[in-house]
Amino acid sequence: MTKYIAKRILLAAVTLFVIIFVLFVLIRIMPGNPFPVERMSAEMILQKRAELGLDKPILVQFADYMRMLLSGNFGNGTSLYNGAPIKPILLACLENSFKIGVLSIFFGTAVGLLTGIVAALNRGKFLDGLCTVLSILGVCIPSYVFMIFLQYFFAYKIPFFPYFFDPSRFLFSSIMPALSLSLFTISTVARFTRNEMVEVLNSDYVKLAESKGLQGFELMRRHVLRNALIPVVTVIAPLVVDLLTGAMVMEKIYGVNGVGKLMVDAIAGEGVDYNYVLALGIVFSSLYIGVMLLLDILYGIIDPRIRLSAKEAA
Amino acid sequence: MKKFFALILMTATLMLTGCGGGGSDSGKLSVMLGSNVVSLDSAQATDLASFEVIADCIDGLTQFDAKGNPVPALAESYTISDDGKTYTFKLRDAKWANGDDVTAEDFVFAWRRHCQLANEYAYIFGNTAACIKNADAVTKGADPATLGVSAPDAKTLVVELEAPVIFFPSLMVFPTFYPINEKFYSSLDAGTYGTTPETFLSNGAFRLTGYLPGTANIQLEKNESYWNAENVALENFQYQVVTSSDNALTAFKNGTLNLAQISGNQVKHTQEDAELSKDLKIISTGLLQYLSFNQDPKNHHAGALSNANLRLAISNAIDRESLVGNYVMNGSRATYTAVPLDFAPNAKTGAYFAANQNQFADVIGFDIERARNFLDNAKAELGTDSFALNMIYANDGGDTVVKVAQAIKSQVEANLHGVTINLQPMPKAEYLTNVTSNNYDIALTNWAPDYNDPMSFFNLWTTEGCEIAEHWSNAAYDKIIADCTTGALAGDYDARWNAMYDAEKILLDNAVIAPLYTNASALLISPHVTGVEFHSVALERVFKNAKMN
Repeated sequence: MTKYIAKRILLAAVTLFVIIFVLFVLIRIMPGNPFPVERMSAEMILQKRAELGLDKPILVQFADYMRMLLSGNFGNGTSLYNGAPIKPILLACLENSFKIGVLSIFFGTAVGLLTGIVAALNRGKFLDGLCTVLSILGVCIPSYVFMIFLQYFFAYKIPFFPYFFDPSRFLFSSIMPALSLSLFTISTVARFTRNEMVEVLNSDYVKLAESKGLQGFELMRRHVLRNALIPVVTVIAPLVVDLLTGAMVMEKIYGVNGVGKLMVDAIAGEGVDYNYVLALGIVFSSLYIGVMLLLDILYGIIDPRIRLSAKEAA
Repeated sequence: MKKFFALILMTATLMLTGCGGGGSDSGKLSVMLGSNVVSLDSAQATDLASFEVIADCIDGLTQFDAKGNPVPALAESYTISDDGKTYTFKLRDAKWANGDDVTAEDFVFAWRRHCQLANEYAYIFGNTAACIKNADAVTKGADPATLGVSAPDAKTLVVELEAPVIFFPSLMVFPTFYPINEKFYSSLDAGTYGTTPETFLSNGAFRLTGYLPGTANIQLEKNESYWNAENVALENFQYQVVTSSDNALTAFKNGTLNLAQISGNQVKHTQEDAELSKDLKIISTGLLQYLSFNQDPKNHHAGALSNANLRLAISNAIDRESLVGNYVMNGSRATYTAVPLDFAPNAKTGAYFAANQNQFADVIGFDIERARNFLDNAKAELGTDSFALNMIYANDGGDTVVKVAQAIKSQVEANLHGVTINLQPMPKAEYLTNVTSNNYDIALTNWAPDYNDPMSFFNLWTTEGCEIAEHWSNAAYDKIIADCTTGALAGDYDARWNAMYDAEKILLDNAVIAPLYTNASALLISPHVTGVEFHSVALERVFKNAKMN
């Protein structure tokens, strides 16, 4: 087991390193000036580039960057535009995105589970059909359409929620952004829960329990849900990471100061520059890799067959 | 399972109890910013959004009155030496928000620091603008203590110039020249100045209460320790960064924004709406949109554009009235001078520098026949019948510039047989790289002035200024500009003013650029908001005297 985990961790580290390298090189060789200025003479631009170390060969720059990362001072990088350290800004944005993300996952899972359970209990009936249609719609509708729809109806037509995200009323103005992000989670969780539940409801042990006289809520709690929900947990973890991609659009539309908006602005060079793209790329990749690593390890613990096959392959 | 549902119920209750209900926060002025603030550090800021927010919070030596004339702000008064080369400012009693006095040392510190950092706007201290003694040397590494600025006592600031700069007081409105409290600055971690409300110190009308680099929402409140606090009516206000004009219009309609900028397309829609049309206001911005012709003979299209007749042909084949009327549509006005409209008033007559739009009518205008004559001459001189030219432009600033580029292409190609224009849209960062690395034929570009003097434009086209763009060099032009900035004419208002027209004539006779239009900004302002001041240079909007009823 230890060997299996160690191998996974090593693999994750190598993946991260490769990602950082590719990102770094791609960003450096991209067309465009990392330092777009209009009011500097050619001579001054060269002076500034030298100051920022942009005149060194790419590999040397990469070595410098890795040294900075590995010195344990992650995010000690500074913005090219204004020399401000990236780390505090990144942390503040992560906090905002995290809060809305948690709200959205919480809401999405709760509604998704409920919808799935209702559908499964009424399988074949009208409610089941309705839930299925809704969850298919949820998967199909691009999340930004839903976001703009929400904003238009619940902030403009019926001005209940603030049109833009308002940090002074964090929780209240988080509702619409969180809701719009949770659409995909709701649909995925609902479909998954329904299918698992239906399978469990048809299983022999539930039929046995029923024949023993167990009914209603007690049956659900002790036999059906417990067995149906374990696989559901495994889909939620990757969904958490998927939120990051959704957040890019959502945060831009609602004006939330989160990592998604920061990433979009950094790519477009709007006030934040490409050192942010790099830092955010590393954060996003670490999160993805971290979650996948955790899942791998969890699977290994839950299902010994995975461990064995890994051993054989090695 | 019960616990789970209980938890959901509890969260829902918690969420709803936190709600105040109602969409917009009525009573609080909410202003749209069209782009992110780059930095609140006056030595790092490069954009109008940053300058505007800095000016909300920090006062400089002077400020604009409602008409755009410089009047004293932190300087109570100033005297100018007889040779016009030494300014002595007497500072008024003003305080930083932490209780410290605003002293002359704060200016000395900020200016030395900026020259030493040699950032984009460090140029403005040097001989192309403020002409502060040794500024150019300090930006190139000389000892900052040699900069021509000193503080003989806490309330006196002495500035020594290389040459008389007649627009110096108006230059002091520009946020690059604002003070920074050295003690406060030194107490912060490196690079963190101006990154949060805690690391930013104001001495102006407002204090920062909510800010983060790249933020979409900036919160400000009245600074009670401001020297002129009794005349500041707004208790607080906020900026909302909105990059989509559709979003801006909707948010204005529902009251979320009280001041929004809209696009040319929306102006028409707004004018047709009886209610909205009352809130529409067109502001001239002092930003000149123009075509820059790359004249470097080494350029990959064999330097066809180094031929003046070809440039003149293109400039005369463009219908500028049609550009602004059918494509820009936001109130921008066709411009036939190298200096934009409604900018740089003469201190004596009050007339704008570019008031007479017909003075170069013999070389610039929409005249197809004349354009074709120029083209025939060009063809004869260059010995070729067809010209394929690349036109680059930045396409990330909205669709207006894209439409203008397409219109120019179709007008030029229709009116000049043998000339084809290949459009090359690209992001701004890439566009700037192409311009600086000489990789273009024509650039659809623009320039916003930094100070209220035509020189803010004319400096662009000296041999040195053209280094990164047009690659044009003209000794007579260079001489006039040198005379007007640091030479014999610098101190003679009228002679300098007239000489600048001579320079402009050389520029347009040679069609170094083809001016297109002076940009306007179409704004929607809620009737509850009064007293916002608009300027065509340095600070687009000033909120010190704004009121929200």
